[in-house]
Amino acid sequence: MIKFEQVSKTYPGGQQALRKVDFHVEQGEMAFLTGHSGAGKSTLLKLISIMERPTVGRVLINGHDLSAIKRRQIAYIRRDIGMIFQGHHLLMDKTVFDNVSLPLVIEGHTRKNIAKRVDAALEMVGLRDKAKNLPIMLSGGEQQRVGIARAVVNRPPLLLADEPTGNLDPKLSMEIIRLFEDFNQAGVSVFIATHDLGLIARMKYRTLTLKNGQMITDGLSEQSDEGLYV
Amino acid sequence: MSLLFKGRAQGAESVKIGFFQLIIMFFTDHLRQAVNSLGELWRSPFASLMTIGVLAFSITLPSTLYVLVKNTEQISQQWEQASEISLFLREDVTEASAQQLLTRLRLWPEIADVVYISSDSALEEFQTLSGLGDALNYLEKNPLPVVVLVAPTSKYASPTAAGILLDKLRKEREVEVGKLDIEWLERLYALIGIAKDLVTLLAVLLFFAVVLIIGNTIRLNILNKRDEIVVMKLVGATDAFIQRPFLYTGFWFGFLGGIMAWVTVLIILLWVDYSLQDFMEKYQVDFDLTDMGLSTLLGMLIVSVTLGITGSLLSVQRHVKDIEPR
Repeated sequence: MIKFEQVSKTYPGGQQALRKVDFHVEQGEMAFLTGHSGAGKSTLLKLISIMERPTVGRVLINGHDLSAIKRRQIAYIRRDIGMIFQGHHLLMDKTVFDNVSLPLVIEGHTRKNIAKRVDAALEMVGLRDKAKNLPIMLSGGEQQRVGIARAVVNRPPLLLADEPTGNLDPKLSMEIIRLFEDFNQAGVSVFIATHDLGLIARMKYRTLTLKNGQMITDGLSEQSDEGLYV
Repeated sequence: MSLLFKGRAQGAESVKIGFFQLIIMFFTDHLRQAVNSLGELWRSPFASLMTIGVLAFSITLPSTLYVLVKNTEQISQQWEQASEISLFLREDVTEASAQQLLTRLRLWPEIADVVYISSDSALEEFQTLSGLGDALNYLEKNPLPVVVLVAPTSKYASPTAAGILLDKLRKEREVEVGKLDIEWLERLYALIGIAKDLVTLLAVLLFFAVVLIIGNTIRLNILNKRDEIVVMKLVGATDAFIQRPFLYTGFWFGFLGGIMAWVTVLIILLWVDYSLQDFMEKYQVDFDLTDMGLSTLLGMLIVSVTLGITGSLLSVQRHVKDIEPR
């Protein structure tokens, strides 16, 4: 599903964010990406969502080389990727319903279809009764779940999450991860970047670890040696 | 169709939608966005009104001048129609041969009317009008020639045709001097021409300024919505989709500015008309300043909406593209 081939990224100014990164997340797989802040996690996710382009190497999604994607096509690529952000990126002056419906409005669905799908997405994250609220009236965990509902509302085959549990307590974090597991069981490929090692340790998922822009481990979380970057 | 995933439908393709329903959706979507943009203007009435005002007054100035110039042109045309040729006859022409000339001239197809003014009646008129009064009685003999006023038919009333007629009349034996007082008209025409050019120049400059002002206003709107645009781009909005509400904002600026300009011009012209009425009656000319009908409104709206959309188009094409999620 996501394939990196010898990918390096150097930012203008010489800062090397990624060095020869190689990995492949299979279709239907759920994997974690971890590492210190500044290790290159965000850069790696940005390369998948084409917010940045690699300096060297190839990034492929479902076998398609992203370097062939022109600027004008990027919007259509992002419709295939459900993205969840640490800062949840909600529109604070719009209701929960309007926030979640945004991807569908952009794609030009009918009103009826939008209402149906938003309802289903909010049901999945347990916020069906908050549809008419403004995000500001919700708790941090609820806001994050609105972001997740928005990411899955158009049923993308791939979910990317950047620190989705960033400022949540362990119990809420676990709930969020359980949500991702549900989507994964429905066939969605899930790729989560997090530095919450405790969270990963409790689960047996494949974990990719970055350090100074290099991939140092790739395997099941129980095998990863936390000492490597603690 | 998805670019990455074969068989994954995006948007409207995912549900079966009829062609007509698609068209209806297209228009309802646009209508909704247009109304949303109008609502956005309504929520910041002061700022919106300032921009609309700039647009309105920038259109008002050239429009008012244009109407004035156009009316002046019409008036001068009325004067031109009344153009008259004065023939001053030789001193030795007798009354009888003068009458003969008149009879001949009346037969000319170019001539509508001929008026005979004897030297005595001319002197009398001169006496009353000049204010010299009795002083003229001391003249030994009447120095004024016999005058024949020739009014050409409307077909021969234009400056060039009347000029040709004048040449023909000059060849008449009895005529000493022929005069067609049209030179001042030609000078007036030249002045009107210059005025027209100036109005055009002024309009172009002001329109240019309006486009820049609207462009800048829209730019500020875009920057204010930076966060929202980033989010929309992250969930897959195309530039065109993001641009649309701003283009509608430009449209509304133009539309409302156009209406405001029309009303302003109307008020100015009513006022000018009122103060000109006296003058008009003296000159017996029709100065129809208040002819600001539907077609004028339509023309002004087309101009202002074009300016509004051009301004916002220039702005969105640059600035929406520049905002990218980081």
